[in-house]
Amino acid sequence: MTEQGEGRIDASRNGNVPKSDGVPIDAWPQSGSGLLTFASAFRVQWRQWWPYYAMMAPGLIFFVVWHYVPIWEAKMAFEQVRIIPPNIWVGLKNFQTLFASPIFYQVLANTLIISAMKIVFVFPVPIMVALLLNEIRSGKLRGAIQSAIYLPHFLSWVVIAAVFIALLSPTDGAVNQIAQAMGFEPVNYMTNTGTIRWVLVVSEIWRSAGWDSLLYLAAIFAIDPQLYDAAEMDGANRWQKIWYVTIPGIVPTIATLFILNMGMFLSADLNQVINMQNAVNASTIDILDTYVYRLGLSTGEYALATAAGLFKAVIGMVLILVSHTVSKRLTGKGVW
Amino acid sequence: MAIKTRRTPLERIEYVIIVSTLLLLTVFTLQPLLNLLALSFTAPENVAGFSGLSIFPDGFSADVWILLLQHPNVQRGIFNSVWMTATSVMIGVLFTALMAWGMSRPRLPGRRLIFMMVLITIVFEPGIIPDYFLMKRLGLLNTPWSVILYKAISAWYLIILIRFFEEIPKELLEAAELDGANPFQTFFMVVLPLAKPALATIALFYFVLHWNEFFRAMIYLNDQSKWPLQVVLRQFVIEGDKVAIVGANNANNNIGIAQINIRALKAGMILITILPVLAIYPLILKFFTKGTMSGAVKG
Repeated sequence: MTEQGEGRIDASRNGNVPKSDGVPIDAWPQSGSGLLTFASAFRVQWRQWWPYYAMMAPGLIFFVVWHYVPIWEAKMAFEQVRIIPPNIWVGLKNFQTLFASPIFYQVLANTLIISAMKIVFVFPVPIMVALLLNEIRSGKLRGAIQSAIYLPHFLSWVVIAAVFIALLSPTDGAVNQIAQAMGFEPVNYMTNTGTIRWVLVVSEIWRSAGWDSLLYLAAIFAIDPQLYDAAEMDGANRWQKIWYVTIPGIVPTIATLFILNMGMFLSADLNQVINMQNAVNASTIDILDTYVYRLGLSTGEYALATAAGLFKAVIGMVLILVSHTVSKRLTGKGVW
Repeated sequence: MAIKTRRTPLERIEYVIIVSTLLLLTVFTLQPLLNLLALSFTAPENVAGFSGLSIFPDGFSADVWILLLQHPNVQRGIFNSVWMTATSVMIGVLFTALMAWGMSRPRLPGRRLIFMMVLITIVFEPGIIPDYFLMKRLGLLNTPWSVILYKAISAWYLIILIRFFEEIPKELLEAAELDGANPFQTFFMVVLPLAKPALATIALFYFVLHWNEFFRAMIYLNDQSKWPLQVVLRQFVIEGDKVAIVGANNANNNIGIAQINIRALKAGMILITILPVLAIYPLILKFFTKGTMSGAVKG
């Protein structure tokens, strides 16, 4: 692929500078070469590559504007915001204010609790769904079930929250009607601080269990069928085959996804919470993201909100990098 | 496992349990949606007693749908959602493809640097307040462009396309060059036609992403007339703001809103919002499933 000779052949054949990939790598200045060489090499390179940079330009501009300028804007976390600019640099004062406020710890605790609940109760569900789906012999039946349970993955959290509000309504929601038929008192799950976190867990299962099972199912399909045949020869029954062949086969996938989930620990899903939140349940499901949103865009505490956002971003980045590294070490699979 | 021949009664019972569990999951997934669909078509006089468990309309009436489709807020929502999503998808696909093409050239000077720059954006998000101030500084607040252009290119989809372009046979590109094509011609006349399946997949990714977007629209757009459908739905159903749909009882509604139950109206509103996703769901399934499966196995 990267033979240097090829470019020279091209160049001599066409008698001009080839347009794609053809320029020999050694057209770049070697170490110790002079400025003149560099300039001429640059010209040669530029003549060949400018169309590609031109095509990439809009994308590069988008990336710089939407991802790198906000990093610069985030310096607000270290400033006192004034109505009449410029802002005053105050160093870590905003962070001190933040870390001194009891609400911040309340919010942090909520975030950690909700994330932990999701890891414990949501994470295993798609694995079980994939194991069950794999046991279905008829491809048509499996396909039908899959197309149905994938659907919620493609709905927005606004829609899912609206569906759950209807589903959990104390007067005419399906859940309470079943509960009442069995002799229980109706519960307003959405405005009950004891149940609302479970609403988050269950709605997350509703949304993602089907679709996430696809990843595990793909891993199961990649397992060598001979292993199953061998297990069968040894007289293994269904559960033994699942336990000794299927599960070991998907452990790397499970590990990767688990570690990645850990990396997202501080992101308890803004879109979910912001749509499920109401005046009554807010105290239990107020997470870092909604706190930043409220502090900044409703209360106007821009500097403090930016500081809280930056705290989350930095911890989140560290968690993702660590989990990526761990994942790569353990399973050879990373995120990128 | 095709070699399986004899089955013991125990295995049959096991199989029945497995299938029933999955069917139960299917019911749990679909019933809430079907219930809302039935509710939206139920005759107004029966809505009050309509069970949350039923999936068939009790009597039939399309009043809810007629009213919603005639309602100016909903019409504007549909209009805004459609054009904003369409524009976002076109911008996303075109610029992602252009950028991916450049980045897929193995000898592009600065390739590694640009790659690093893209990866960093996946890991580090400075937060919503800096984003908001950036929009304000650019004068995009309260314009649809703040929602459309915001993160117009997804780093993930970009990486998927780069991987795809890298696998285009070199000979094809060289042949195009020998025929005298410049890089632009090569891209538009050779690469893009080859990449049609990949581009369709990316387009669907962007479609779902942008159609479901509500947060940016909610914080950037003050003006109700600019709201996409998701925000109209949110205002009406989640915030419980009845004025959004019911109030301002305008003369161009043939059906009196008073006769229509709010509960049925909300159900209809939810379904209108997900209709486009349902309409292209078979396509979504085909492309997404294939992409995710191959991605997972390769990964």
